[in-house]
Amino acid sequence: MSGFAAFVRKETTEILRTWRIWVLPGMLLMFAVTGPFLARYTPEIIGAVGGSQAAALLKAIPKPTYLDSYAQWAKNLTQIVLFAVIIIYGGLISSERKSGTAVLVLTKPVSRTAFVVAKALVHSLFLALAVVLGTLVTWGGTALVFGTAAGGPLWSSAMSWLAFGVLFISIMTLLSALLGSQAGAAGIGLGVFAIISVAGLWEPLTKYSPAGLANAPMVLAAGGESAILWPMVTSLVVSCVLVASAAWAFKTKEL
Amino acid sequence: MTPAVEIRRLTKTYGHKRALDRVDLRVEEGSIFGFLGPNGAGKTTTLRILTGLARPTKGTVRVLGHDVATADNAVRADIGFLPDVPGFYEWMTAEEFLRFAGGLFGIGRKVLDERTGVLLELAGLTDITTRIGGYSRGMKQRLGVAQALINAPSLLMLDEPTSALDPMGRKDVLDMLQSLRGRTTVFFSTHILADVERICDTVAILDHGRVVAQAPIDELKARYGAEKVVVEVGEGADELAAAIGAEPWAAKVERDTNDTIAVTVTDADAASRAIPAMVAARRLPLHRMEAGEMGLEEVFVQLVGGGQQ
Ligand SMILES: Nc1ncnc2c1ncn2[C@@H]1O[C@H](COP(=O)(O)OP(=O)(O)OP(=O)(O)O)[C@@H](O)[C@H]1O
Ligand SMILES: [Mg+2]
Repeated sequence: MSGFAAFVRKETTEILRTWRIWVLPGMLLMFAVTGPFLARYTPEIIGAVGGSQAAALLKAIPKPTYLDSYAQWAKNLTQIVLFAVIIIYGGLISSERKSGTAVLVLTKPVSRTAFVVAKALVHSLFLALAVVLGTLVTWGGTALVFGTAAGGPLWSSAMSWLAFGVLFISIMTLLSALLGSQAGAAGIGLGVFAIISVAGLWEPLTKYSPAGLANAPMVLAAGGESAILWPMVTSLVVSCVLVASAAWAFKTKEL
Repeated sequence: MTPAVEIRRLTKTYGHKRALDRVDLRVEEGSIFGFLGPNGAGKTTTLRILTGLARPTKGTVRVLGHDVATADNAVRADIGFLPDVPGFYEWMTAEEFLRFAGGLFGIGRKVLDERTGVLLELAGLTDITTRIGGYSRGMKQRLGVAQALINAPSLLMLDEPTSALDPMGRKDVLDMLQSLRGRTTVFFSTHILADVERICDTVAILDHGRVVAQAPIDELKARYGAEKVVVEVGEGADELAAAIGAEPWAAKVERDTNDTIAVTVTDADAASRAIPAMVAARRLPLHRMEAGEMGLEEVFVQLVGGGQQ
């Protein structure tokens, strides 16, 4: 148990002292800071530079509201941040095998299960923190730019995406325990994302399975309704199963 | 007394390749055990199996009385291990890594403070504050030895601990291993014979995945080593060497310095009778004649065969 705690501490410090602290939080903060402004002023900018035809087109579109800012945030999460998560975590386990650090840790009183669980846990929490921070900034920025900013649509959207993001950290934990190549794991991860997105188009699956989370963030951010309780519960359960499978797969590997 | 390491009929195959072939090995508690073998003999494979990083294809492996297949944290808590190429978190400093390693063992603050200081000193890294990412290979190797000792293990296993070190570093590490004699069982692989001769009490020689010899080092030398006679004369060494070389009991004749002849003999008794007579017959001044020491190197070359060195 002390081994687990010490390894969790190492994993956390590693985030703070390496490139990891810049990539996800940096990306999220950038989107959070610019998103509300872009949502508010993009139509005007297009109108200004796009000539009379574009201006005419824009007149037909209603004036942007705070929901457009939320939609922008949800779109960035589902389309860009998720891809980053898949690519970054393609080497979550395998990079420590490659560098030889796993050998030094796992010949001490740290089980392979503890190694895998600690990593999945720390990075899920890290993602959660970064998303909460980014969402807070988006919320504040939206209130600033649009004057009003109801919390419900934004937070329900962000939390449903977070469950989806944690699901993908678990998927990448398993893939990086199975495969030695980060690029290979990331490629398969993107394939899994494509499959889940397609599955998300089929009504019965969206009700109970994690596939329901593929489109929910967009729908919720736009102020729509989406029953996400069951998909979030099953997603969490599936995440745990995936991490347990990753631990088992890692146990069978030779280092 | 249970041995610290007990390997029985261990076989490890990779596809069709047999990396280890029915290896039997017994390392007694408290001994310093040298595990010798040329490149590709299977030393690293054996150590990986002993530490639970790889699994045996066949056979049983027991470490500190426990089967490695079921060894848990409690067993690992008593073991120190240095892999052939240790991998560190490059963003840490040496001190941070030692503290991290100690934390994995759950070592308390006070003891850890003390050990970190001692081990940094031992590794010669006390005043170095750069990150491990900037270390030379030798520095990493020394830190590797230090981290293997953080838990004061009762069994220390090292894979070629001196391979990346300069002569001073090698001496330091060997002295340090020697100072553990009696308290910690030391099992280390190497292909540097001088290291083994200097500190080991027992040796096993591995070749092509098979143990070709295992015994206390003196016994091994006595058993496999042909004997040697060293003769030093004041003059006429060339002619004498040629004459000795023609004798049936002389297996090999070497000239060290000008007037010294080292003869590897198959029949020591015949040689010690014949050589003084040969010197006297030529009226040469005899400065010295003694039994030379048979090196482990010769034993090794005999057992493992030429062509690999
Ligand atoms: N993962 C592996 N896959 C395939 N073959 C392997 C693997 N590991 C080791 N081998 C083979 O097993 C044999 C023994 O290798 P090992 O690394 O144990 O030798 P070694 O005695 O440590 O050599 P060296 O002195 O060069 O370190 C070699 O022929 C090697 O090619
Ligand atoms: Mg080796």
